[in-house]
Amino acid sequence: MFTKKRIIQFCLAAMVFIAADVWMYHSLNNSFSVYVEQRNNNEVGLFVQTAPEDQSDIALWLSGVSTIIPSSQAMYFAYDETSFDFKPTKDGSQVAEELWLANRQNPLFAQALESAYYLESMQLPSTFQATIDGERVPAKIFFAPIIAENGYEATGAVMILVPTSSASDFARLLRILAIGAGVAFLAIAWVITFTRDPVTGFMVLGLFIIVGIFVAFPLFEAIRLSFIRQGSFSFEAWKMALSPSYIVALWGSLRLGVSTATISTILGFIIAFLVERTSFKQKKLITTLATMPVISPPFSLSLSVILLFGNNGLISKQLLQLHNTSIYGLGGLTLVQTISMFPIAFLTISGVLRQIDSTVEDASLDLSATRWQTFKSITLPLTVPGILSAWMLVFTNSLADFANPLLLSGNLRVLSTEAYMMVTGRMNDLGGGAVLSFLLLLPTVSAFMVQRFWVSRKSFVTVTGKPSTSLTELTTTPVRRILSGVTWAVLGFILMLYLTIIAGCFVRNWGIDYTFTWENWKAIPDSWDSITSTVLLALVSAPVAGIIAMVAAMLIVRKKFPGKRLLEVLMMTPYAIPGTLIGIAYVIAFNKQPLILVGTGAIIVINYVIRELPVGLENGITALHQIDPSIEEAAQDLGADVPTVFKTIVLPLVRPAFISSMSYTFVRAMTAVSAIIFLISAKWYHLTIKILSYSENLRFGLASVLCTILIVIVLGVFALMQILVRDDKLTQKTISTR
Amino acid sequence: MEKKSVSVTLENVTKKFKDVKGKADVIAVNNADFVVEPGELVTLLGPSGCGKTTTLRMVAGFELPTDGKILIGDTDVTMLPPNKRDTATMFQSYGLFPHMSVFDNVAYGLKLRKIPSEEIKKRVNESLELVGLATYGDRAPSKLSGGQQQRVALARSLIVTPSVLLLDEPLSNLDALLREQMRVEIKRIQKSLGITAIYVTHDRVEAMSLSDRVIVMKNGFIRQIGAPDVIYEQPDSRFVAGFVGKAAFFPVEIGSHEKGLWSCNLGGKEVKVAQAAPDVKKGDSAVLMARPESLRLEKTGLGHIDGKVRMNVYLGNSLESFVQTPFGEVLVQIDDPHSKKVYREGEDVSIGFSPDRVRILSRSED
Ligand SMILES: Nc1ncnc2c1ncn2[C@@H]1O[C@H](COP(=O)(O)OP(=O)(O)O)[C@@H](O)[C@H]1O
Ligand SMILES: [Mg+2]
Repeated sequence: MFTKKRIIQFCLAAMVFIAADVWMYHSLNNSFSVYVEQRNNNEVGLFVQTAPEDQSDIALWLSGVSTIIPSSQAMYFAYDETSFDFKPTKDGSQVAEELWLANRQNPLFAQALESAYYLESMQLPSTFQATIDGERVPAKIFFAPIIAENGYEATGAVMILVPTSSASDFARLLRILAIGAGVAFLAIAWVITFTRDPVTGFMVLGLFIIVGIFVAFPLFEAIRLSFIRQGSFSFEAWKMALSPSYIVALWGSLRLGVSTATISTILGFIIAFLVERTSFKQKKLITTLATMPVISPPFSLSLSVILLFGNNGLISKQLLQLHNTSIYGLGGLTLVQTISMFPIAFLTISGVLRQIDSTVEDASLDLSATRWQTFKSITLPLTVPGILSAWMLVFTNSLADFANPLLLSGNLRVLSTEAYMMVTGRMNDLGGGAVLSFLLLLPTVSAFMVQRFWVSRKSFVTVTGKPSTSLTELTTTPVRRILSGVTWAVLGFILMLYLTIIAGCFVRNWGIDYTFTWENWKAIPDSWDSITSTVLLALVSAPVAGIIAMVAAMLIVRKKFPGKRLLEVLMMTPYAIPGTLIGIAYVIAFNKQPLILVGTGAIIVINYVIRELPVGLENGITALHQIDPSIEEAAQDLGADVPTVFKTIVLPLVRPAFISSMSYTFVRAMTAVSAIIFLISAKWYHLTIKILSYSENLRFGLASVLCTILIVIVLGVFALMQILVRDDKLTQKTISTR
Repeated sequence: MEKKSVSVTLENVTKKFKDVKGKADVIAVNNADFVVEPGELVTLLGPSGCGKTTTLRMVAGFELPTDGKILIGDTDVTMLPPNKRDTATMFQSYGLFPHMSVFDNVAYGLKLRKIPSEEIKKRVNESLELVGLATYGDRAPSKLSGGQQQRVALARSLIVTPSVLLLDEPLSNLDALLREQMRVEIKRIQKSLGITAIYVTHDRVEAMSLSDRVIVMKNGFIRQIGAPDVIYEQPDSRFVAGFVGKAAFFPVEIGSHEKGLWSCNLGGKEVKVAQAAPDVKKGDSAVLMARPESLRLEKTGLGHIDGKVRMNVYLGNSLESFVQTPFGEVLVQIDDPHSKKVYREGEDVSIGFSPDRVRILSRSED
């Protein structure tokens, strides 16, 4: 592959291109700085011509300099007839005066003043550092005479300081583009010269560029910014984050996470046990009800809890007449989070329980162990890894949760909302926000590590592999009654919450006036723009995420290339990172040259795609592992190139995974909040944020209507997906026949 | 659609696999160097894991050699991806497209070549007819039996008129009877089309009956290349001798080499041998290799090795006598047993052979 000829070819091409690139960069840069210099000279010339006659107006005139040359500063020197010299005056900006004081010994300055005496303007050749708003910036310095009526006498001189930052912005952009072009060319030339299969090479390159720009770069920028205060390196943001005031918030997050995770896991286990290990009847119904909260929009459950148990809640106030209990705080939050997250625990644990071959339980019962002994010594230990995974997953989700605390945290301070306040509040401190979300990452990542390296090692279950068919009844009737009692209570509660939202749509003023009305439905025309933009962005991101996920899965499963592991890790990273952090990192990274994306719809789509890729990728990888590789090889052998193989073979065969990735992305995009709350703009608004603002303004009726709409859309998509995937059962079966 | 037959050349081809856990590399193919002549059918024969599939996949383009060159005809194809090579592979698991009908499976290669659909229809139907599946066009591949699937795969490979046909244990999923039929079928089609073919198998009967030449491999190394009869009768190593057929080995010391005959010391007795592997020389400790059918049983003292019959297995056209000797149990095959004297179980006998039916091989086990 690396033959001498190819290496020489590559080096030659690289040299030629880089020479051209450097030459172009330099000539552009030069002509630009010449242009800037000329323009500044002209502007300075124009400016001094407008000097007032009256000495008392000088100060006002000087302060107007920045309207002519952006962010420039000026200082006035009066001509002293007795000493035939220019004397500094107090007129002018402090910045300019400080600079003068610091440099007045500099012979260049004397020389410049002297040339003013000869009615000449002068620009000092070197660049000076000035301190503007506490930041050191480089600046160019001009001296210009103010010429009297008679035309041959200078009545004074001005020193004008022009920060080069606006020029350097452009120069920086130029530099980035030049480097970018160089790197892109080298990469492309590398792929063409050294790979046997350039199409695969380009796909890999493309993925690396995507994750490089949209995963690695923003995170890097967020880390960088967290160490910068007022233009220089500092630990201040981290010191602030670790100050007692924010440690309290971390503690709040942890307490919430632990209580939610524990209760959710217990609930999840009970329901999973009931479904997978007993002869309980309505398993399908239970599974459906128990998974509902996973797809319900953020704020909806909080909203209905407020409607029922809030200060004006139907149950708390109207029914029970409670006055001094509050749903806001740890208790209420735990309640809502548990309802929204126990399905995760349920799904995880039932997955594990299903895998346990029930013949081991039969064997135990055969050896005359009681049911309780069997449960205690066989079933439970085998489920432990699943239980731990479930706990970790819920814990992580609870810490990252942003929507529920925003409405319900009350006096409890948690990190995700603190980070949000830090960014959007009075402080407008992006670096601080980033640091707080990094703090959030700490427990999340440790949970992930524990799960990865400890729990997965303790797992015995996957060994048997095949799902068991027969079922042994492990419970006695009374126990089963208790378990199903708990289950029905929980599910009933969930149902009640959803019904409350629907009821909320038709009530004039919840808590005060319960008369029936259609008025709330005006929320639909009012929010029509948000609805369309929400749906549109979700519709765009779903296929993009689906295709990228499947292509990446194919590359990772089927192709060999250097950096595969790194690519996989980078693609999976967004899964472990709280949305708040991603949102903040995106604002930091994409609000400046060369990628100003904040405010566009594109950044929202990109954000959806990047965040939902990991799940799609996993789906695709699992699906591909089940397909005999010689099917694709046969196609290639018959003359299909890589894209054709993907289009005609891979995509049809992984269709179920593809469709479910798309619908997953769509649903997640419809119900997004934590990252995009930082990225929305007036033009690209999101329904969930609309629900938030209605709820914050206590317009619960309108919020309920929007929640209902979201739920209807999401359920519709799920139904559609069910239909689409059902057709595939046949193909799915035949893939594995071999 | 007559095409000129082409040769396939491997020049010092080596393939190393990086071990997944970062341990030592696996050398799957070690310095393979051979030419398959135009129109020839060559088998790669060897035990599982010896690198046959890897060799075949390098010719097809699915694996890139770590070292060396592969030529099809006069063109260096080492760097070409599979879709740019004029080869067609039949996979062990067939690799039929499960989401397409039989017709679409066979038509796939033609569609890629942008052939008008009328002609595609005509040619696919012809080729389905050729493999006896004319009425199965609409079926899903999963609704066919193993043998039928195999024939669809064959039709799909051949319809694009490749110049090289590569077959990776294509018959291993079929039952014995079908296997024999398909073997004949493949050979017939290959010869009639004049396609150069490389056939991978671990079944020596398959290799012997199909091939013009056999390449025997072990642990990534090519051990011997030759026509089936040469490989069987004149193996150059104990490994090849044992892999392609039943053989007995007796330790000998090589004495002299005169007038085309080697004289060796076999357990104290002097024996004459006409053939020897190229790597043995005077004074070596070697082994004497004998096929069961080249041995005969004689009265005690008349043959070269004395022993006692332990068991006779009657097979109709032949009889297998297991004889206990100082060198272990030896199988002697007696053809047409009715015309010969048969020694009963427990009788003392002596094993004899003529010098031109045995061969001296180096003692090494490889
Ligand atoms: N993709 C691969 N990665 C690593 N090792 C491999 C790979 N393919 C084959 N090998 C190794 O190369 C050797 C030869 O394999 P193979 O060619 O499949 O043998 P055969 O077809 O003769 O049974 C084996 O040791 C096998 O483990
Ligand atoms: Mg093989």
